[in-house]
Amino acid sequence: MASEFRFHKNGILGSPRVRLNGLIFVFWLGMAVVVVRLYVVQVIKHHHYLALARDNVVKVVPIPPLRGEITDRNGVVLVRNGPDFAVFEIPGEVRHPRRELAWLAYDLGIPASQLRHSLSRLGFVLPPHMPVPLETGLSMAQVGRVNMDLYRLPGFYIQVMPKRIYPPDNIGAHLLGYVGSFTSSDLKGSFYRHLPPGTGIGKSGIEKEYDALLQGAPGLRRQLVDSHGRIVRNLRNEPPKEGRSLRLTIDMRLQMTAERFLGDRRGAVVALDPRNGEILALASHPSYSSEELSQAMSSARWKTLVQATDHPLTDRAVQGLYPPGSVFKIVTTLAGLSEHKVDPDASFHCAGTFRVGSVIFHDWKRGGHGTIHLHKAIEQSCDIFFYHLGMTLGPEPIARVARLFGLGSRTGIDLPAELSGVVPDREWKRKYLHTPWYPGETPPMAIGQGYLTVTPLEMARLMGAVAMNGQLSHPHLLLGERGNGTGQRAPDLTPIPIPKKDFDIVRADLRDVVAAPHGTGHPVNLPFFAIAGKTGTAQVVSNRGKNKGTKRPKADSWFVGFGPFDDPRIVVAVLIENGGDGGDVAGPVAREVFRMYYITRLAEKGNPAPAVAS
Amino acid sequence: MVAKILAYVVRVHPAFLVVLSALLLIDLLTLFSVTPYLAVKQGLWEVFGLLMGLGILLVPYPLFLKNARWIYGVVLALLAIVFLAGHASHGARRWIGLGWFQIQPSEFMILGLILFLTWLFVPEKRDIPLRPARFAAGLLASVFPALLIARQPDLGTAFELMIIFSVFVFLKGIPSRIVTISVLAGLAFFPVLWEGVWTHLHEFQKDRIRAFIDPASDPSGLGYHTIQSIVAVGSGGWFGQGLSGATQVRYQFLPGAHTDFVFAVFTEEWGFAGALVFLALISYLVWFGFRTAMDCRDPAGFYLSAGVTGFFLFCFLINVLMVLGILPVVGVPMPLMSYGGSAMIISLGAMALLMNVRFYAKR
Repeated sequence: MASEFRFHKNGILGSPRVRLNGLIFVFWLGMAVVVVRLYVVQVIKHHHYLALARDNVVKVVPIPPLRGEITDRNGVVLVRNGPDFAVFEIPGEVRHPRRELAWLAYDLGIPASQLRHSLSRLGFVLPPHMPVPLETGLSMAQVGRVNMDLYRLPGFYIQVMPKRIYPPDNIGAHLLGYVGSFTSSDLKGSFYRHLPPGTGIGKSGIEKEYDALLQGAPGLRRQLVDSHGRIVRNLRNEPPKEGRSLRLTIDMRLQMTAERFLGDRRGAVVALDPRNGEILALASHPSYSSEELSQAMSSARWKTLVQATDHPLTDRAVQGLYPPGSVFKIVTTLAGLSEHKVDPDASFHCAGTFRVGSVIFHDWKRGGHGTIHLHKAIEQSCDIFFYHLGMTLGPEPIARVARLFGLGSRTGIDLPAELSGVVPDREWKRKYLHTPWYPGETPPMAIGQGYLTVTPLEMARLMGAVAMNGQLSHPHLLLGERGNGTGQRAPDLTPIPIPKKDFDIVRADLRDVVAAPHGTGHPVNLPFFAIAGKTGTAQVVSNRGKNKGTKRPKADSWFVGFGPFDDPRIVVAVLIENGGDGGDVAGPVAREVFRMYYITRLAEKGNPAPAVAS
Repeated sequence: MVAKILAYVVRVHPAFLVVLSALLLIDLLTLFSVTPYLAVKQGLWEVFGLLMGLGILLVPYPLFLKNARWIYGVVLALLAIVFLAGHASHGARRWIGLGWFQIQPSEFMILGLILFLTWLFVPEKRDIPLRPARFAAGLLASVFPALLIARQPDLGTAFELMIIFSVFVFLKGIPSRIVTISVLAGLAFFPVLWEGVWTHLHEFQKDRIRAFIDPASDPSGLGYHTIQSIVAVGSGGWFGQGLSGATQVRYQFLPGAHTDFVFAVFTEEWGFAGALVFLALISYLVWFGFRTAMDCRDPAGFYLSAGVTGFFLFCFLINVLMVLGILPVVGVPMPLMSYGGSAMIISLGAMALLMNVRFYAKR
């Protein structure tokens, strides 16, 4: 039996040891073949192959792809490509790097150390035949001077590169982002990205989020060159694949209106369509120049941008965390209605103060609002009413409803580095601050102060859900790729388990915030466009404690609203840092965005023509 | 224990140590001439691999064999993860990302399979002939991961697994009757097999085989690898072009210079003389593995070291013959030489297993 399983019954390969000898014999046989073959190729036919290698060297030069354009929803081009002159170096072909870099620097009129710096950013990780961009954005005079000198600068050349052209006046800078040339650190994770040096990659905003779509694929130019580097002929070229063009949900007219009326104030404007989550405008000020950031920039300039006290690099619309102030009373009201802790018809006396233990909270209006109902409390933003309601509810129901509206978690908008605010409750405070919740912390939370923070985008989404009877939208910026249908996605809405009648009560109140002459949001009122909304005036820093003696900064002002009242199509959230009163400061910005929306989208559809815009 | 092992390696096998270090240095030097950055990375992997090898030396190999099932199982699970959610690069799905680096579980399967087959085929203290049931289990244990890997697609590594299986079966011995029958059946069903395999190959894999049949048919396209590789080797001459004169490498004329064709780079730079030295170094390692197996009186140790040796020598031969245009470009990297962290670690791990058998086995 045993012998049956042997390879050979009779003999020399009869045992595993002998078979191992057989393997080694195969190895020696193979080695003999290798040595003979090596001798033939390397010694006998050496001259033949050496000639082939010397005379026909294929040089592979990558051709950068054209980055896709970005347009708004109506096809208005926001970002396009323009020409830019750059000087390149092929390190492997430069004979005297020090001397020639000095010549080049003289021609360009810049210090040689700057050129060496751009070389060291990429030179080490790339094979020496790959061209490295030394200096981009050359002026015509620089191009001329370098061109005259190229005869004594082998290994250097000038090439026209595509460059990104962004809208004037930094419109939509945060939203669009900027591109930058990749550095060694970008290559580290993915060494074989095969992008030609000098290609821009998205560094923030849409440019970064959709980099893979916008990028395209580089082509290859295979050149047969002789041993002196002269091109003999071109071999198979692989053309670059142009990046996809993107169509955003942004409406440029609303975006420009928002930025124009935001003016020089620090703040953010978000406009979105509550029916499907399409972002119509996303503005943030102060801003930066995308074009400036896309070019090579001195480290000193970069430092000033990063360290500036007004934080121009922060996109306040999705990264700014602010207390929502009185706008949050919508959440408190809905929490009260769903817990049956507030009766819309019950009357309440507001005396102007509210006491928890030894702490006395004041209303914004000295002397109070007198006897009011829920309706008036929202319309005139009575604080005492909501202090009382908050104390009745406690922090948990408020936090629960706030989280239902997506506060405290990212909205998932297609922008990199979105931040989310904080919705505090007892558990949160124990976990992060390691202290118990004090009763005196509930009244501020009920009117959107204290630990509570939100981003303007979160507030816009919240108001959208209120307008849509609790249908929470998912904000997004990408409408589709250009020339690729309308890209209309099926609306993707998450229902919130709060009865419709509660929303009806709140919406009626919000309408009167704007429509009623004594409503806090009356500055927003437009005679031809039914707007509803809520103002907020959120005190930011106390002037006691460590800020004692400094001038008390003005409160952040908010207006968040929607319109038209009966058929909501647009939500606008405006935040102005340290602006002061919500209705008077943030309100007019929102009003102008609403007005522009009406003019461009509603007026032609059988609605009355508006009065001339102010 | 570490000191004892190190003393053993240095005193008893100084030649092995010298040869291994020389090969590792040659590897770094060659990669440095291709892309310095890769050499730095590979150097880190070598250090990591050597430390790993030292770790392997600390554990007697019977312990490895006892747990071979579990090692194999874990690697198979990793392969399954890659198959389902691996990190794609160059259209291939081979890697698992772990922060700043990626591991390639298919390479670890090589060691896993060697250990598993040793455990499966040598169940007792004495060597008994291979039973059909165990043969079938071994076949399944090799073919299943090989299929997973071939789907990545990585034909080279799948091929390596089948080499390991064949080496083990050959060493165990199969009846000549069965060999004859399978060869005849293979010939009879060749058209069917050809159709089955050929239609499932990727286009670039087909191109490589087409190019092997007639490399000159399209110099800038299909036969490019083979032709450029031979030109690189040939331009080396007796003493090579040196690190700076090797234009084939410098102008990236040679695709895959740091992976499959690293031997071509070396011969272009150091010529026929360098190649002979290199072959001598490799032969020493093969001889070392052969002696380890022959001196070992424990069947498990014999099969383990013989399996490692067989795998090493076949991968080496196939790679060199591929570089020299005698075999088609199947994508088998050269052990200890080709760029790749996971491959370097398993190559050094295999060397450590040989030393392990030397150290712990009864002679």
